[in-house]
Amino acid sequence: MTRTVLGLARAEASLLVRSVLALAGLLAAGLVTWFGIHPVEPLWWHAAWQIGFGQLVLGLAVLVAAQLAAGRARRDGMAGLYASFPATAGIRTLGQLAGIAGAIPASLLLIGAAAVSVHLLGVVGTPSVTVLAGGLLLVIAAGAAGIAIGTRFPHPMAGVLGALALLLSSGTTHLVSGGGIWLVPWEGLQDDLGFLPGPLAGYPPAGAHGAELAGLAVLAGAAALAITVRSARARAGLATAGVLAVTLICLAGAVQLRPVPNLNRLVTDSANPASAQRCTTSSGVRYCLYPGFGSVLPSLEAAVHGVLARVPARLDRPLTVSQVGLTSLDATLTHGYPKRQVSRWNAELRRAPAIASPESAIYFPIWAWPAFGGPLADAHFNLALATADWAVRIPLVTIASSQSGQPSQPCVPVNQAREAIALWLAILAARPPAGELQAGVPAGNGFTAAVVDHKVIPTWSYPGQGAGQVDQIGFSPPQNTEAGYLLARAMTTLPEPKVARVLAAGWVTWLNWHTTDAQLAAALGIKMPGVPRPPLLGTGPIGNGPENPVCT
Amino acid sequence: MTRPARHRLAWLGALPLLAKPITRTMPWLTLISGCLAGLAFLTIMARVADASHAQLSQGTVRLAFLPAVAALAFVLRAPFRPLTQATPVPAWVTPAGHLLLAAPVLVVTGGAYLRIMAHAGNHALAVYPLISQLAGWCAVAVAAAACFERSRYADLGGAIAAPVAFAAIALTWYLPVTAKFLVAPPATAERVAVAWYSVASAALLLTGAALRDRWHRYTRRRSMWRPDRPLEMQA
Repeated sequence: MTRTVLGLARAEASLLVRSVLALAGLLAAGLVTWFGIHPVEPLWWHAAWQIGFGQLVLGLAVLVAAQLAAGRARRDGMAGLYASFPATAGIRTLGQLAGIAGAIPASLLLIGAAAVSVHLLGVVGTPSVTVLAGGLLLVIAAGAAGIAIGTRFPHPMAGVLGALALLLSSGTTHLVSGGGIWLVPWEGLQDDLGFLPGPLAGYPPAGAHGAELAGLAVLAGAAALAITVRSARARAGLATAGVLAVTLICLAGAVQLRPVPNLNRLVTDSANPASAQRCTTSSGVRYCLYPGFGSVLPSLEAAVHGVLARVPARLDRPLTVSQVGLTSLDATLTHGYPKRQVSRWNAELRRAPAIASPESAIYFPIWAWPAFGGPLADAHFNLALATADWAVRIPLVTIASSQSGQPSQPCVPVNQAREAIALWLAILAARPPAGELQAGVPAGNGFTAAVVDHKVIPTWSYPGQGAGQVDQIGFSPPQNTEAGYLLARAMTTLPEPKVARVLAAGWVTWLNWHTTDAQLAAALGIKMPGVPRPPLLGTGPIGNGPENPVCT
Repeated sequence: MTRPARHRLAWLGALPLLAKPITRTMPWLTLISGCLAGLAFLTIMARVADASHAQLSQGTVRLAFLPAVAALAFVLRAPFRPLTQATPVPAWVTPAGHLLLAAPVLVVTGGAYLRIMAHAGNHALAVYPLISQLAGWCAVAVAAAACFERSRYADLGGAIAAPVAFAAIALTWYLPVTAKFLVAPPATAERVAVAWYSVASAALLLTGAALRDRWHRYTRRRSMWRPDRPLEMQA
C-alpha cells in the first residue's frame, strides 16, 4: 500500500508542479509580494508577513489545481473505471494528499525569490522562520482543502468558489476588529507591522497561526479521506484526527486572541525615541535612527550635507533628523487591554517629540521611507528641502492656535526671497530630474493656488511631496509658491559661485521674511519670472473662506 | 438535377425547437450556486457591518459579485462542439443561448446585491459606475471563457477563465495606467461608466469572434502526430 501511495503521490506531485494554474499562481504570488514589499524600505518583520500574503495567492491557485485533480475521475465520467483498479479510492485520495508536496517547491521558490529581492533592497532586521513557515503551511492547507472539495464536488466551479471563499475571508479583515484579524487564513491589510520600529514578540502570533493552519490542513485531509474510505476502523481514526485538529485550531485561535505582550515597551520606544534610537552627529547634524536602520544613514547625510555645504553661514540652531515610529495604537495591537491603559498609552504617544514639538527637528516616518528608484529621489529632495527650510528659517510646520478649532492650513512664504533660496539649495543638493520639478507647475487648464490675505497665490508642489516621506506628523509643511519655484529655477541657470557670492554678501538680509523675490532677482541681475494666471481669475480680492497664513 | 440551395439563414426556423434543449443544457446549478454564494457572503458582511456600526461599502458588493462572475465563466461550455459544428444550426447558437439565459439571472442577482447595500445604509455614492463595473467584469469573464473554450484547454475552460478574468480585473484595478480610467477615484463616475461599458463592448465583440470560430483544436500534442505514419501506428 505504501508503495502505491508513494507512486500516486509522485505522479500527482509531478502534475501539480507542472500545472499551468499553479505556475500562473506562482507568478501572481510573486507580483503581489513585490507590490506589497517594494514601495518602502523593507523591514523583515513586515516583509515576512507580506511574503505570506503572496503565499495566499499561490494557495488559491493550488486549491483550484488540487480540486481539479481530486475531481478528475468523476468529472470525466471515469469513476467506474477507477473503481476497478487495485488501488482503492481511499488510497488514491491519500496519494493525492501526499502529492500536495508538489506545491512545496513553488512555495519555497517564492520565499527564496522574495528573500533575495528584499536583501537587494537593503532589508532591515532578520527573517522569522516561523512566519515564513506559516506561509508554506498555508499553501499546504489550501491544497488539502482543494482535495477535500474535489473529492466531494467534482465540478471545477467548486474549486473556484473554494478559492474565492479563501480570498474573501482574508480580504475582508477590515470588518473584524482586534486580534480577530489573525484568525483568518492570512491577513494582509489591517496589521500595523509596517509601522513598528522593530520586531514585536507575539505580533503577529506566528507560532499559533502556524498551528491553526496545520490543524486546518489535517482537518481538510481527514475530511477528504472520510469521504472515500469505507472501513469503519479507518473512519473512526479519521474522526479522531478531525477532533484533534479542531481542538488544535480552537486552542491556536485562543492563543492568537491573547493580548500582545511587551506593548508597554513599544509605546515607550515610540513616545520617547531617545530611549531606543541611536544618534550620531555628522557635520553638526544629529541623525537619530532606530537600531538596525543604519543603512539609511548615508543617503540621509548626502541630502542634508548637500544643502548645508552651500549655506554661507553656520546654522544658528542645531538640526536633528529623526525617525518616527508608531504614532497611535489601533485595536489590532491593544485588544485585550483595559480601556484606561490604552488611553494612557495613547496620551503617552501624543507627547512624542514628533507630535508634541514637530518644529524641533526634521522627522521622517519608518513606514514611508522608500528603498530605491524615483520615490527615493523624491524622498531625498523632500529631505533636502526641509533642511533648506530649516537653514533659511522657514517654519517646518504651521500650528493652528488652540482657540480657532480649525485644522491648521500650511503657511505660504508669499514673495519671500528665502523661499527661492531654499528651493535653489534643495535642487542643487538633490538634483531631481527637471521634468519632475516642472511637473509641479500646473499645465493646461490646471491651476493650484492658496488664498493668503484675500489674494489667490499660485502654488507649486513637488510631485513626491504628498508621499509623506518627510512628514511633520499631523501638521502641514509650508506650501511653496509658483513664483518662488520659477525664481529658484532661474537661479539654477546662473553659475553657482555667483549665486553663492550674492547670498553670502547679505545672508542676514535674505533670511528676513520681508525681503522680497524681486530684491533677490535684482541682486542676482536677473528678471523676476512672471507667473501666469488663469484668464477667468480676476485680480481683485476674493470672498470669505479658509485662508493660509504667511510664513514668518 | 440539383437541389435548390438553402438560404443561409434557414437555420433560424429551427430556433423554437432549440429553445427547450438549450434551456435544459444550461448549467443552472453552477450559475445559481455562484450567485447564491455571493449573496450569502454579502448577507454575512451586511450583518457584520451592522454589528460594527459600519456601512456596507461598494467594495464589498464588488467582492460579493466575484462568485457570480466565476459561475458565468462556466456557462459557455459546449461539451459536444465537434458534433454541433456538423449540424446545419451554427455551433455558437447554444453557448449564445446560454448567455442570454444567464443575463436575467445576473441582473436579478446584481439588483439583489444593490438592495442589500441600500438596506445597509449606503446611499452615499452613485451606483451606475458600480453597475458598469459589474457588467464589464461579466463581459471580461465571458470573453476569457470563450477564448479558452476554443483552445486545447477547453475541458477546463471555466476553471482557467475565471482566475484569468480575476487576474485581468485585479491588474486593471491596481495598475496606475488603467486605474485612472477604470477606478473612481482617480477617475470620475462618468468616466468609469464609459470606460467599463467600452471594455464590456470590446469583450463581447471578442466573445462573438471566438464563438463563431470554427477551427477545431486538437488536444493531442503535436509531437505525437506524425502525418507520414498511418493512424493505427500512432495510437
